[in-house]
Order: sequence, then C-alpha cells, then structure tokens
Amino acid sequence: MTDSTDSLRPYVRAALELQGYEFSEEHIAEITLQFARIESIARIILPPAVDAEALPDLGPAPVFRP
Amino acid sequence: MNAAALDIAQRIRSGETTAASVLAETRAGIEAGDRALNCFTATTFERARSEAAAIDARRSSGESLPPLAGVPYAVKNLFDIAGVTTLAGARVNADNPAAATDAHLVARMHEAGAVLVGALNMDEHAYGFTCENTHYGATRNPHDPARVSGGSSGGSAAAVGAGLVPLSLGSDTSGSIRVPASFCGVFGLKPTYGRLSRTGCFPFVDSLDHVGPLARTVGDLAAAYDALQGRDSRDHACAQRDVEAVGITPLLPAGTRVGILGGWFQDWAGPAARRVVQMAAEALGATQWCELKSAAMARAAAFVITGAEGGALHREKLQARYADFEPASRDRLVAGSLIPATWVIRAQRARKVAYTEALQLFERFDVLLAPAAPDYAPLIGSETFKINGRTVPTRATLGVLAQPISCIGLPVCAAPLWPEPDGVNLPVGVQLIAAPWREDLCLAAAAVLERAEIAYAR
Repeated sequence: MTDSTDSLRPYVRAALELQGYEFSEEHIAEITLQFARIESIARIILPPAVDAEALPDLGPAPVFRP
Repeated sequence: MNAAALDIAQRIRSGETTAASVLAETRAGIEAGDRALNCFTATTFERARSEAAAIDARRSSGESLPPLAGVPYAVKNLFDIAGVTTLAGARVNADNPAAATDAHLVARMHEAGAVLVGALNMDEHAYGFTCENTHYGATRNPHDPARVSGGSSGGSAAAVGAGLVPLSLGSDTSGSIRVPASFCGVFGLKPTYGRLSRTGCFPFVDSLDHVGPLARTVGDLAAAYDALQGRDSRDHACAQRDVEAVGITPLLPAGTRVGILGGWFQDWAGPAARRVVQMAAEALGATQWCELKSAAMARAAAFVITGAEGGALHREKLQARYADFEPASRDRLVAGSLIPATWVIRAQRARKVAYTEALQLFERFDVLLAPAAPDYAPLIGSETFKINGRTVPTRATLGVLAQPISCIGLPVCAAPLWPEPDGVNLPVGVQLIAAPWREDLCLAAAAVLERAEIAYAR
C-alpha cells in the first residue's frame, strides 16, 4: 500500500459499506488499488489541478449531444 | 473467404453464385478456422440458411436485390439476436432468456439482405481492450495467435481479419471498435455519438456507447454504414436525422485540410504507431501538426464516466454474484461504483471543454489524423506493456489514444496500416477523425489510404 491508497482506504471502505458490499479487508485493499488508479487518472479534472475557469460552471452535468 | 462483401453481393446478383453457396463456404471456413481463433460464441446457421434461401428465392423471382444480398456477417454478442441469449461476454447473463427480437441494427442488416451467421466474443460487458475473456476464452489475433485480438469487439475484428466473414458489427465505448480493428488489420467505423441506434444492444456506458461496422475494405464499411443508418425513437440518444448515405466510393473533396494530432497523440504512440501516422500523412498530403490540448482531460473524463456508469449498471449483480464476474475487471467495476458524483459532474464539464476545443480545431482542419493504438497487439497474458519508457497496465491503457475522441462523440474511421520497420507482419491502425456527422470525410480519407495501397486487410 502506498500513501495514496492508504488515504483513500477509509473512503473506499465506507463507500463499500454504504453500497451494501461485504468484502474482506484483503479484498478492500485490492478495490482500493483500483479506485486509486481511477483517482490518479481523474486527478487532472479534479481540484486543485483544474481551476474554476478551466471547467466553467455549465449548470447541471450536461447531457452530451454532438 | 477473403472476398469483399460487395463482390459477394454482386456475384449473387449476377447469378454467378448463390447465397446458399456463399453460406456453405462461409460455414466451412468458420468450422475450420475458428477453432484456432475463438471468435464465435454462437453460430446461427439455421437462421442463415433461411435468410440465404430467401435471397436466392427473390433472385429467382426476378426481384431486384438489396445492397448486401447474401453477404454473411456476424455481431458482437451484446447485440440481440432473436432466439439467442445475449451474453455481452458475461457468465452472469448466460441463464437469461433468449432475446425475443433482433437488435435494431441486426434488423437493418436483414433488410439490406445480409445473412447472420453468429455471435462474436468480447471482453465481459465490453470492459476491456484485449478480449481475454475468462469465461469464453481469449480471441486470438489472426496475424499472430500468441497476441490479443484487442477489445472489446475482439471477436468482431478477428473474424473479419481472418476472413471468416467479410463484415461484422461491434460497439465502441472508449475504443472498442478502433483498438481491435487496429490490432487485427481491418477497417472499423465508430460513427458520431447518436448516429446509429443501440436498441437491442446490451448497454455498458449509456452516455458513451456507440455501435458500428467492421470490414476488410472501405467500400464494404461504407455500404454497411449506409445500411445501418436511420431514425429510431426507441434509443434516446439516436439522433433524429435522415439517412446521409456516403455511397460505396467515398471521395475526399479537393482541398480537404488534414491535420496531424500531436501532443497527447504522439506522447502515447510507440515507434510503429508514429510510423503509420507518418505513412498516412504522406498519402493524405498532410503536413500541419495541431493539438487537442484537452485530450488528457477528455481521457480522464471518459475514465470517470465509464467507471461510474458501468459500476452503477452492474452494482446489484455484483453484490449478488461477484464470483461469477470477470476476474480481470470486476474489482474495477466495484471501484467505479464508488466514484463520487462531484467527479462525474466535473467529468461532464471536462467533456464539454474538450468538445468545444475540438470544434475550434475543425475550423482549421476537416480531418484529423492520429494513431488508433499505442503499438502492435500485445501478447496474450501481458499485464503491462512499455510505451516510450513508461510501463503501463495493458487492459486499461490500450485505449489511451481512442478514449479522448469517443468521449466527445466525434466520428472516426480506423484504417489498418502495416509499418513493417523490422519485418513484423502486424498492423497498427490510424484514426481518421472528422467533425460531428461527417462520417463521409472519415471514410473518404480512409479510401485515400486504401487507394494508396497502404491501408488494407491482409
């Protein structure tokens, strides 16, 4: 486990419980790794990497239509 | 059978052969050739016999035949086929009742005279880029069986690449037509989001799911695309647009401006992928480089939206039957179901930013050129691969060049090139990308590469 996954693990554990999943601690660690991978890629669109101007408030998440 | 679909239809139309004979030859080819490749998860030869007989009867009675009369084809096993259970690559769907009716696009192919011969393998629930399916086996690359076919429409690409069928249908959420087309050496079209109806297709990520054809020639791809177009109010995303037929010999208008995408699309391209872009640029007369600066954001947005929507879609079954899900992707699906809503909203905004930037690029260019995959198809079982000094996970990264484009719904034709820098007999594809609803330009640009004899199926 890295620092990054350590910090995410409480969130993952709580979210899994909220969603009704029941996994062992070992398994929660594996899902945390997967979640950390998503987070590492998502970071570019999450604060503080992107400021408010770069992603303007477009109201509710827009339904995509070309 | 390496004959082009349009040649088959013409030979049937002229009486040189019959749909029944073509079907018999196709069946023999599948029975002999699929054992080594594992493209098919089901065959539908009884139905095919009936469809072929109907075509032959129509010809005998003097009727004019539809454009794909008697052409054998197969579909990714997430398309409903009446009488067949729609697997979507998953064991958890194997006990579902058989589909009552055909998917909309299967019905369109039937109207066009095509003959359905089976359902094709895929990554479970379309969540993967390798078509290594634990339940139904890996689909192997027709040019090197030790390598993956690509995914998730791996069966669709490999069956066409191996010449088992001249046409197939696949789906593309984040690259699932373009990546396997690139690896298996065939043409693939991911149309504009909303162009083709997804009614009767097992969903993955509703806001990103596209469907489209794969073929050995641009003419066949265009003919299938024309046959598939049309309104369908049952798919909320299907645009209410008239058919905009491209014809079987799409021509690139004089003065078409082709830009070469740099930045992200070169950073993630290995030597072979860079080489095919160079070959295509020379054939298209493209010299100007440009950049989609928000490509990384668009890729991130695709990743987040895919995780969240895919995770939410399968949450209940994951809770009830976790052990029956694909081991290679089930934890990613669970992790996706935990993504906070604020991330998804930011992803949708990032998507809009990238889309706006792309539209600005299309003020300067008509077609954009980029690699379709970072490198050649990796070996089956590869957990990681190296690209420009970075070691990255295979399953999640093979679509890195395709994801930013499907995230913003642009039409793309993947065309197979053969870089052969060191005698390697493997293809790598390029993406020919156009503004929304300009599939005609994507296909016409692919036709330029085909006429230059650098893009073709072997």
